[in-house]
Amino acid sequence: MKNGRKLWFVMLATSMLLTLFLSACGKGGTSEGSSSDPVTITYYTIDSPDRTFVEKLIPDFESKHPNIKVKVDKAPYEQFDSKLQANIAAKKSPDITSHFGYGGFMEYYNKGLLTDLTDIMKADNFKASDYGIQDELMNIYKVDGKTYGIPSNNYVTLMLYNKDMFDKAGVSYPPSDYEDKSWTFDKMIEMAKKLTVVSDDITKTQYGVDFGWGELDMRPAYFGAKVYSDDAWTNGGKPSETYFGSPEAIAAYQKWIGLIWDQKVAPPPAFSKAVAGQFGDPFLSGKIGMSVVGSWSLASQKDFNFKVGVAAVPIGGNPDVRSVLYVDPLFVLKDSKHPKEAYEFIKYMLTTEVQEKSIELSGGTPPVNDNAKEKYYNSFEGVDPQVIKQVYEGANKYGVESYNHLISNYSQLNELLINEFQSVQNGDQKVEAALPGIQEKITKLLERLNK
Amino acid sequence: MMNRQLISRGLAFLILIVCTAAMISPIFFMISTSLKTKSEMLLFPPTWIPQSFQWDNFKELFTNEEIKFGVLYQNSIIIAVLTVIGTVFSSAVVAYGFSRYRGKGRNLLFMLMISTMMLPYPAIMIPQFLLFSDMNWMDTFLPLIVPAFFGSAYQIFLLRQFFNTLPNELYDSGKIDGASELRMFSSIALPLSGPALATVAIFSFVWSWNDLLGPVLYLNSQEKFTLPIGMAAMISSKFRIAPWNLLMCAAIMAVIPVVALFAVAQKRFTEGIVLTGIK
Amino acid sequence: MKLSASGRENFYFYLFIMPWLIGFIIFALYPIAASLFYSFTDYDIISSPKFVGLANYQELFQDDLFYKSIWVTFKYTIISVPLTLILSLIFAMLINQKIPAKGFFRTAMYFPSMVSGVSMSLLWFWIFNPQIGFFNYILSWFGVKPQLWFLDEHLALWALIIMSFWGMGAGMLIFLAALQGVPASLLEAAKLDGASRWSTFWNVTFPMISPIFLFQLIMAIIESFQVFTPAYVMTQGGPNYSTRFYVYHLYESAFKNFRLGYASAMAWLLLIAVLIITYIIMKTSNRYVYYEGGKES
Repeated sequence: MKNGRKLWFVMLATSMLLTLFLSACGKGGTSEGSSSDPVTITYYTIDSPDRTFVEKLIPDFESKHPNIKVKVDKAPYEQFDSKLQANIAAKKSPDITSHFGYGGFMEYYNKGLLTDLTDIMKADNFKASDYGIQDELMNIYKVDGKTYGIPSNNYVTLMLYNKDMFDKAGVSYPPSDYEDKSWTFDKMIEMAKKLTVVSDDITKTQYGVDFGWGELDMRPAYFGAKVYSDDAWTNGGKPSETYFGSPEAIAAYQKWIGLIWDQKVAPPPAFSKAVAGQFGDPFLSGKIGMSVVGSWSLASQKDFNFKVGVAAVPIGGNPDVRSVLYVDPLFVLKDSKHPKEAYEFIKYMLTTEVQEKSIELSGGTPPVNDNAKEKYYNSFEGVDPQVIKQVYEGANKYGVESYNHLISNYSQLNELLINEFQSVQNGDQKVEAALPGIQEKITKLLERLNK
Repeated sequence: MMNRQLISRGLAFLILIVCTAAMISPIFFMISTSLKTKSEMLLFPPTWIPQSFQWDNFKELFTNEEIKFGVLYQNSIIIAVLTVIGTVFSSAVVAYGFSRYRGKGRNLLFMLMISTMMLPYPAIMIPQFLLFSDMNWMDTFLPLIVPAFFGSAYQIFLLRQFFNTLPNELYDSGKIDGASELRMFSSIALPLSGPALATVAIFSFVWSWNDLLGPVLYLNSQEKFTLPIGMAAMISSKFRIAPWNLLMCAAIMAVIPVVALFAVAQKRFTEGIVLTGIK
Repeated sequence: MKLSASGRENFYFYLFIMPWLIGFIIFALYPIAASLFYSFTDYDIISSPKFVGLANYQELFQDDLFYKSIWVTFKYTIISVPLTLILSLIFAMLINQKIPAKGFFRTAMYFPSMVSGVSMSLLWFWIFNPQIGFFNYILSWFGVKPQLWFLDEHLALWALIIMSFWGMGAGMLIFLAALQGVPASLLEAAKLDGASRWSTFWNVTFPMISPIFLFQLIMAIIESFQVFTPAYVMTQGGPNYSTRFYVYHLYESAFKNFRLGYASAMAWLLLIAVLIITYIIMKTSNRYVYYEGGKES
């Protein structure tokens, strides 16, 4: 078929007058030339201010590496994965990216999108310790002893709370110490009840808690239930069985949905979307007391028009699983023409100096480099650095790596769950009524995807 | 008799007033929201008239670094204008061919052309996407503009209907003057088709201006986005709080060129549509 | 060089229609053929297509989402298209009387259809906002409880249908022009014969405008088979797939999940559906539609 398409291409090229005009303004393709010519590498990221800061680092990098030019390409979060694949298919593959979209490492790995960096790193004598990266973080992106990605940022799940709202309601702040075993899910509900005000007037309505712990498939893990069979963690993210319909999973989802419809302390989707838009975060509107979110939300702290505090995620059903960890790596893509230069750029991004600078430029991306962490803890005005440090260390201690990095074909799975859960979140359907059907659909989907 | 007519007219008038109010009210909400502050736009019940008119919202729309509305606007205009030029020129040429010459297979080809009017774009978008992707046209305006230079069935049909109304005597006199065929097209047929060409131009402008699917498929980088994708992105995750007032400003700004075009060419436009409707 | 008269005629004919002919082959004929080919393959855009025979079609006919997308599109079409057409005809007739402020009504009814595409979606997304939207506010005057609209799987499609009525002005304008083309002498004659308004409409007016009605009907149906923008901008096909229009499903299958073979099969079925429906309408309409001066050539 490739030939068939080529044929038309040739026809087109010869028959159209336009061709002349086109080749004049088309891309022309930069020649690969001698080694003294600078090469251009492309860094692909999502279009949000806490990610696009990379642009501001480029002049410095280029001055240190005069033979490398860096270009930044952006796409909205929702389109990140599809644009990436379309670009690769169009032979316009970027050189460096991360799994910034819905999909994750395993999805990319299974699709064969990633370059094996082992040899380049060996030749360069790369030592993780030089960059303050812990070995177990390096291991996340190894398959069969080969390295496909190098960690660059280390997000955790934490609790943000609206200090103004707490003060007004006279409720004491939630603790930041993960060892405080009295800080439980039920206690959080109790607290949330004191903060919640439901009124016909939306401007007066506020909710105690918004529990956005991981993606939908992860939430049972917080309550001590599992949804994927254990082989998924060792066979490249393809679970042989799933347990979304199990009594444990149902009970777990009931607890979460119960925050909205039984306890009435969490905002229904209608409220969140009304105040925050389709994909927004209602916490920013100041109408949410406590918000359990990924630590990227802290990066937009300067946009909050209220005082914000940081706390530990309370204990749910499994005392060892309290935080979702998102260790974002940088990958070199398979079709990169300049993997060595791309690797140079990744190394640059990991140096203590750049990691510290990144925190400033982004409003607060958490560094993976241990030497830059102090700086991170200290970069949020009005929040005690000790508290952030405590929360980060606790989260790492009681954390699990996000499933979206580990499960294959994650984006399709996640999309299915988001759709199927809508009626449950809206309160149209009970959890126990919906889950058996969801389980069936997931089985069917995985059968097709992993055949 | 007279009374009955008056009553029925009176009734029609009343119905029209009520329905017109209902039809116009969303426009009113759009304008009113665009001038509200961030906090006022969240009030319920909503205020009809903004407490204070925030004209700066429009300024913010263009100066906000995240939205880059000026760039979106510029891209949309470039694409739409080139599409219009391509469509008008190529459709006129082809329509003239169909109308004036009885070449072999004319009827068959004409039927084929008519039937492509019904051809749904989504049915062919996948191979087109692959084709343009092979040609290295991804993330350029070319896939959105170049096809226009090959005529559009709807517009060709419209213009052919028009050319058919031109009397043959016109060309005969041209022949006597020794004008070539190309000259007859450019100096006899074209100058007479102002209204029809204007209709085609408006049609294709509006179509290109509103097109979302094409840009979604072909444009990847932000500096190339058109208004429709840019505006759709404004309610995506980019903003943690949807800036409804700015969104309404954006909607107004996006509609203005369309309204202006229709206002200028309203009468001709209607004539043009009727022309296509009546076979 | 001297060509025969018919040779000349042929030469200029093909010269003038050349742009279309080339475009037709490249941008219509080839894609139609290619998408038939792809529909028999498994193709993820990155690796090359694998021939799988009828597997995509087999899978389609077992896929809940495929049926769902057909049902959503069908429901939308069957409600929105006839109602919009009839409403626009009614308003055209109301305005086409001797009433004051005719020009104003015409412009006011037409104006909303200029707010189209993404602008229209944004505006209505805001109007249907469940908490602070104007629609719920106006309903509250009549004691109706606030509804979730785009967040409610039972209402989302209805919200889109309501939104589609808002764009009826374009059709109205065309009908208005057509009505003005109905010869006054015919209407006078009917009146003299003592025909009621109702029978005048059915026996004189409607037959005169029926070709336009038919044309509008076909175009509206084809258009509503292709609804994409509101689903992309507002609902992403949700909630719970209740606005997963056929073309949106096709788009997601092709460009989000990169199942180009499966999506090509959908594309072909869409093409066939459009063909069949156009054919049926044209066939059945022969009985009703009046063409001035007999049938077209």
